Amino acid sequence: MLAAAAIITGSTAMGQESPYFVTYDHHMEEPHHLEIAIQPVAGAPKEGNRFVGTATEFEFAPQAWWTTELYLDWQSTAREGSLYTGYRIENRFRLLMNEHAINPVLYIEYANTTGADKTLREIVGFDSWRDLAEPNSDTRLEREREIETKLILSGNRNGWNAVGNVIAEKNLAGEPWEFGYAFGVSRPLALAASPYRCSFCRENFTAGLEAYGGLGEQHARTLAGTAHYIAPCLSWAMPSGLTLKVSPSFGVTANSNRFLMRFGVSYEIPLTR
Amino acid sequence: MRKLLLILAFTACAQQRMTTQPQAADVAAGHKLFEQHCSSCHGVEARGTKYAPDLAAAHAMDSAELFRFVTDGNLRHGMPSWSRLPDQRRWQIVAYLKSL
Repeated sequence: MLAAAAIITGSTAMGQESPYFVTYDHHMEEPHHLEIAIQPVAGAPKEGNRFVGTATEFEFAPQAWWTTELYLDWQSTAREGSLYTGYRIENRFRLLMNEHAINPVLYIEYANTTGADKTLREIVGFDSWRDLAEPNSDTRLEREREIETKLILSGNRNGWNAVGNVIAEKNLAGEPWEFGYAFGVSRPLALAASPYRCSFCRENFTAGLEAYGGLGEQHARTLAGTAHYIAPCLSWAMPSGLTLKVSPSFGVTANSNRFLMRFGVSYEIPLTR
Repeated sequence: MRKLLLILAFTACAQQRMTTQPQAADVAAGHKLFEQHCSSCHGVEARGTKYAPDLAAAHAMDSAELFRFVTDGNLRHGMPSWSRLPDQRRWQIVAYLKSL
């Protein structure tokens, strides 16, 4: 799909994507550009079947301070088949119009998915590997209409980006608020650009580290029984307009998956030509 | 004496190269960054499109002011912030804009 977009549009804009998968920073999409991305995550729960959850993402900026995204979620589970698991619409609003040491962004998302969703875009409440071990035949019948909010605090200094997200999510079927967090730091491998167009030079790579996990729920705010992950991440922005990302994620508690492998491919299309 | 003058002249030439070469490289790198990140709205040679203005007058602006503008953008009027680029790259874009 991304290759077809490249051929059809014939024009590109080089993205400068952050390497994060779960953590959001304060950088917005540029107006008059559409970004299409696919972000699969592969995992093998301690019990149950191996899976790949995939989010197909369409990102657009109605304003320079407002970015909106539509996600279509899919998953494939070994010996169970593949299925569409729902959609999510998110909006991010920059609260301050100039660059500061810390830049707050408000994130609001509406998700209409099934219990079979395995995209793992955030970890909240008491999310656990056990949720992913349940068979699709059961979980696909669970409707999950959720509101998710995040406060994103992000800043840049000396080439480094440091960011923290506080997450609050509520299932609209009357379940309690669930909480989570995500932190990240990242830095390009070279700060200045070379005068030459290049694919493999250090300036096109950004490396980082993410940490994310659940913080319990409204009536039990605790770390006990929650899942937490540490994830190094790397992005590679190519002059063609494609950005590739990769992140091996390591679970650090008994309720985490032992290992998740995340990939990302994105392509930015200027709508100005 | 002649030897000393030759050494001084060589040193002066070397210093001039040290100060001019990075500037030329910065302008070239800034041009590349401009094509990658800015030209889709401002046009390939910064002459403007219906989405963003001509930047030909940017060379008359103070460098620090230009750097601040590239960093902050003008979010209310559609110009994105380019703080996602490291300081060094934003200065390279400024070097290119000053060369127009």
